[in-house]
Amino acid sequence: MKQPVTSENLKHVTRRHFFAKTGFGIGTLALSALMNGKFLSQAAAAAELDAVNPMAPKASHYAPKAKRIIYLFMAGAPSQVDLFDPKPKLQEFNGQDIPAELIKGQRFAFIKGTPKLLGSPHTFKQHGQCGAPVSNLYPHTAKIVDDIAFVKSMHTDQFNHGPAQIFMNTGNQIIGRPSMGSWLTYGLGSESSDLPGFVVLLSGEVDPGAGNACWSSGFLPTTYQGVAFRSQGDPVLYVSNPDGVSSETRRRSLDLIRGINQKHLAATGDPEVATRIASYEMAYRMQKSVPELADTAKEPEHIHKLYGTEPGKISFANNCLLARRLIERGCRFVQLYHRGWDHHGESQAKDLTTGLPKLCRETDQACAALVTDLKQRGLLDDTLVIWGGEFGRTPMNEGRDGSKFLGRDHHPRAYTMWMAGGGVKGGTTVGKTDELGYDIAEDPVHVHDLHATVLHLMGMDHEKLTFKFQGRDYRLTDVHGHVVKKLLA
Amino acid sequence: MWRHKKSPLYRPLFNSLSLALLTLAFHLAALHGGEVDFVRDILPIFKSTCFSCHGPEKQKGELRMDSKELAFKGGSTGAMIKIGDSKNSLLMHRIQGLGDEPRMPVKADALKKEQIELLAAWIDQGAKWPDSASITAQLKKHWAYTKPLRPEVPKVRNGAWVRNPIDAFVLAKLETENLPPSAEADKTTLIRRLSLDLIGLPPTLREIDAFVADTHPNAYDTLVDRLLSSPHFGERWARPWLDLARYADTNGFNFDSPRQIWKFRDWVIQALNKDMPFDQFTIEQIAGDMLPDAAQDQKIATGFHRNTMVNEEGGVDKMEARWETMLDRVHTTATVWMGSTLGCAQCHNHKFDPFRQKEFYQFLAFFDNSDEPALKLNTPEIEVKLKAISAEIKALETTLKADKTDTKSKDRIAALKDQRKEMEITTLVMQERKTGMPETDFRIKGSYVNKGERVSADTPAFLHARKSDQPANRLGLAKWIVDADNPLTARVNVNRLWETLFGRGLVVTSEDFGTQGTPPTHPELLDWMATEFVASKWSMKTLLRHIVISATYRQSSKISREMLQRDPNNKFLSRAPRYRLEAELIRDSILAASGQLSEKMFGPPVFPPAPEQKGVITTNKSAVSWNTSKGEDRFRRSVYTFWRRTNPFATFVTFDATSREFCTVKRSKSNTPLQALNALNDAGLFDAARALAGRMAAETTSAAADGKLAHGFRLCTGRHPGKDEMELFAQAFEKEVTYFKSNEPMAKSIKGSATPPKQVTEPEFAALTMVANAMLNLDETMSRE
Repeated sequence: MKQPVTSENLKHVTRRHFFAKTGFGIGTLALSALMNGKFLSQAAAAAELDAVNPMAPKASHYAPKAKRIIYLFMAGAPSQVDLFDPKPKLQEFNGQDIPAELIKGQRFAFIKGTPKLLGSPHTFKQHGQCGAPVSNLYPHTAKIVDDIAFVKSMHTDQFNHGPAQIFMNTGNQIIGRPSMGSWLTYGLGSESSDLPGFVVLLSGEVDPGAGNACWSSGFLPTTYQGVAFRSQGDPVLYVSNPDGVSSETRRRSLDLIRGINQKHLAATGDPEVATRIASYEMAYRMQKSVPELADTAKEPEHIHKLYGTEPGKISFANNCLLARRLIERGCRFVQLYHRGWDHHGESQAKDLTTGLPKLCRETDQACAALVTDLKQRGLLDDTLVIWGGEFGRTPMNEGRDGSKFLGRDHHPRAYTMWMAGGGVKGGTTVGKTDELGYDIAEDPVHVHDLHATVLHLMGMDHEKLTFKFQGRDYRLTDVHGHVVKKLLA
Repeated sequence: MWRHKKSPLYRPLFNSLSLALLTLAFHLAALHGGEVDFVRDILPIFKSTCFSCHGPEKQKGELRMDSKELAFKGGSTGAMIKIGDSKNSLLMHRIQGLGDEPRMPVKADALKKEQIELLAAWIDQGAKWPDSASITAQLKKHWAYTKPLRPEVPKVRNGAWVRNPIDAFVLAKLETENLPPSAEADKTTLIRRLSLDLIGLPPTLREIDAFVADTHPNAYDTLVDRLLSSPHFGERWARPWLDLARYADTNGFNFDSPRQIWKFRDWVIQALNKDMPFDQFTIEQIAGDMLPDAAQDQKIATGFHRNTMVNEEGGVDKMEARWETMLDRVHTTATVWMGSTLGCAQCHNHKFDPFRQKEFYQFLAFFDNSDEPALKLNTPEIEVKLKAISAEIKALETTLKADKTDTKSKDRIAALKDQRKEMEITTLVMQERKTGMPETDFRIKGSYVNKGERVSADTPAFLHARKSDQPANRLGLAKWIVDADNPLTARVNVNRLWETLFGRGLVVTSEDFGTQGTPPTHPELLDWMATEFVASKWSMKTLLRHIVISATYRQSSKISREMLQRDPNNKFLSRAPRYRLEAELIRDSILAASGQLSEKMFGPPVFPPAPEQKGVITTNKSAVSWNTSKGEDRFRRSVYTFWRRTNPFATFVTFDATSREFCTVKRSKSNTPLQALNALNDAGLFDAARALAGRMAAETTSAAADGKLAHGFRLCTGRHPGKDEMELFAQAFEKEVTYFKSNEPMAKSIKGSATPPKQVTEPEFAALTMVANAMLNLDETMSRE
């Protein structure tokens, strides 16, 4: 049933064609049974759906190192110089003007005039066997540095949140391209038949976020867009029956729908009706599998302690645990957004000594717990964990309108991300920034390079995973991207 | 999406479509001993496999394959092509991996056998490589760049089937393929199809009965004319146009604040209803403000290009944001009217079509001389009220001056200001600057910060020239687009109308008519319709009438096994298409079946019942709360639903509607479990099931259940249920009645706040509601047959 990945997959747009293509397989067998008046069993319906299901698992280009991804998106852009990239020179020249030639011709989102350098108000220590420096704000993550590969030399093209988040997800700042999760589910399908293959989990503040466009399928079929779980009520919209409709009542009504649809399939001969029958059966299965998935209360106490989770609360920690449960059940790509990292220092809540530590407390333990938990379950080997924001923060104090609170402006020129598991070399660091942390000194890694690397780890050649649209074969990496070999195990 | 950002290093690695064409070309050339054509057969291979390493950007091995002279000269390993001798040409060795050197292209798949044979044949035939002027000239001859000529209507064997010229073109093709057309669909199917297609609503039972009973030979035509003149026509056909126009009620991005531009949506509905000629429809939307003595409506129409997004983040560079907006306008204009991927020329000359990079910026310049104000549209009554509010504010401010601690006055002022804001009606418009001609800066490699020469507004040189009444400004551009000499506009737009009705365009790539698009399945039919469109003064209704009157359109949509094998995609039109209704039509037809639908037209967007957002983390900081509308506004046509870009109405998203963040030519037609859950369990749609159950009970006279069930089924599908279907419904209903009789609290929950008609008991009402819910979820209910 594995489908090779070709740019022909445009055909998913109308499943008819796909069906016709696989029409000599299970599809036609089931169809002919249906058309001969035999009723489709639930099992046959499931097989039918697999035959036409654009989310059915597909072979990768080559043997993958990672089979699934949990992407911890730190929306708002955490400060690399206060978390992972210590700069003694910045401490030394704290409060002095940044050299003019460094910022000549540069555009900033908010900084005006000549800003002053700002040493981190936080302290760093080296950790693990690799000796990676981590600040006192991220003590739990500090304990897992030997499983982590840091990229200190990330850079992007965009310096405002919306466009930069879109860029980080789709490889282009203008809305309309497919996101990474969409590309991956389009290329690889999903191992789960009763949960969405690409799930988005939200926590933190509302701001900043570019909205659904971050997990849009762009010009790929909408089947591949991310499904954002809701933080309250049903995680997946409409998974609960209306009041007064029990599971048995729903089963009976689905039987009625199926009975009539089967007659209509025979009358019209349209395979799309068979797909509809299968979709309704899968919907029924989702009504059971989603609540089971979301019921984190069943997890043992030591797991809750590890993550710092409180079932029923909206938190990043809960989402990390949910992410683990999702990938255990075959979900291909889970993306968590924790928002609020935008510490400009315009107020105390948004500064480096009150605001930033709060965000760190909300995320640190759960990030480390996720990696630890995956490891103890033997899942880390083929699960890729990615951590990072849409850009970094300036080594200079922003001082917006003379604010007395410390804060940093947007900085697309150099920032830190980390990855763990799935084919990534733990305890390693790629790239370096200059002494002030302003520019990259060694091994720059552009967003396109990161994308190429992530696809590579998933067994996909970023130059071959294409989709033809408006006369062009599009890629996640556009016309760029190099696999960062130094990151690979 | 229409551009790739910086580098011109564009490299399509695998292009299935051109391969397919190529294969065809090869077979033609080889089978008929024909000559290989460089531009048609060879250049695409070079472009897709060689240029990225041996082109203008890189010259690995000192080889450059994008110029005739340099390609023949060869690289560091010597000449690549030995004219007339493919066996001894290095090029052939390298692409086949012969010898010690690695196979080319190194980083991509090997060339296909057919491609290799084509290259060999080309070299053996003398490696003819025309000069660049001839190549451009040949590209210009691409079918879509040549003005359509009125084709002759073909002769067919089965002349009796033909109702109008459309049928002759379709049948001629079917006869060549030896496929018979399908029989005409039954009248019930036809009226439902026509109603859904033309007004986006299912017919009422009375309308169905009348049509079925009408034996007059003109009955069908009369029906078509009635539907075409229905006010609902505009509501239905606005849908695809508003997708193209990326119309929405919020700004998009992070803040996604609400905006007022619904007057533009109303303008579209009205223009469609009065069958505004498409040329005028175009000119008013692109440049209505520049027409002499522009009327208010003509200014409102320019909202088309104000539907671009606005990023309200604090750090945004305003000039860059304006620039991005103009990029969107270029892309959208070229796509909507000309099916062109002009956007590809932002960073470099177009790789496949004859657009120069400079021409991209010349095109952009048309939009670079406009201000973008909001037009005030207050009625006299509103003006009177606003004056009163302003006066009160002024008075309060005077008192506030005397006593600065007067919080009561302060609060009152704030409230009044909010009130004023809410009351005011405005709409976003374009307004050409009075001084100067449009010009703009070229951007090197497409990068905003990398300015090049200054260019003036102009249209692409390879297309028809601008005439004397088409000056180099936005109005001139609009007139040029709908000039009778424009080879693209009419074709692109008739193809899209066809696509909306048939689910598939004659040109499948309705968004790309360039050399990389697919050629039309019925080129003469396309040209006949395009010329007919212009000849009938660009009347969209006349064209639609031609199409729906045809025998082609009236065919049954039943699919035989033979058709499934021989024409799975219905490319040859041997049957009518059958497809799931689009998002808005699903909701509207459910509301029509349940009897809840409001026919109220126009006005500010409405907020139908949507999933609870309270306590749910939203995706942005949009200040808009979803204050569910009251009364009939809960049940308005979907076209009036508030469109929030970062989080559109849930049911629309589930059923493949777009976010309207960018211009969309065609939506997906997916079929997913999330759709099933949505249609089964959405509170609004379940409420429709209750209302439908109410109709089933109240609108039938017989006490027996069968009559009620049959009535419900007809309201959903338009037809009477078959005997076997009735049995299933009756059994299901009986089971539910029994169940709810012994589970009365459940029956009460299902009833909710509804008041069941007195004809049925509470358990019966609950049972009917469950059956109604199933009926609304039937494939047939959701499909256009």
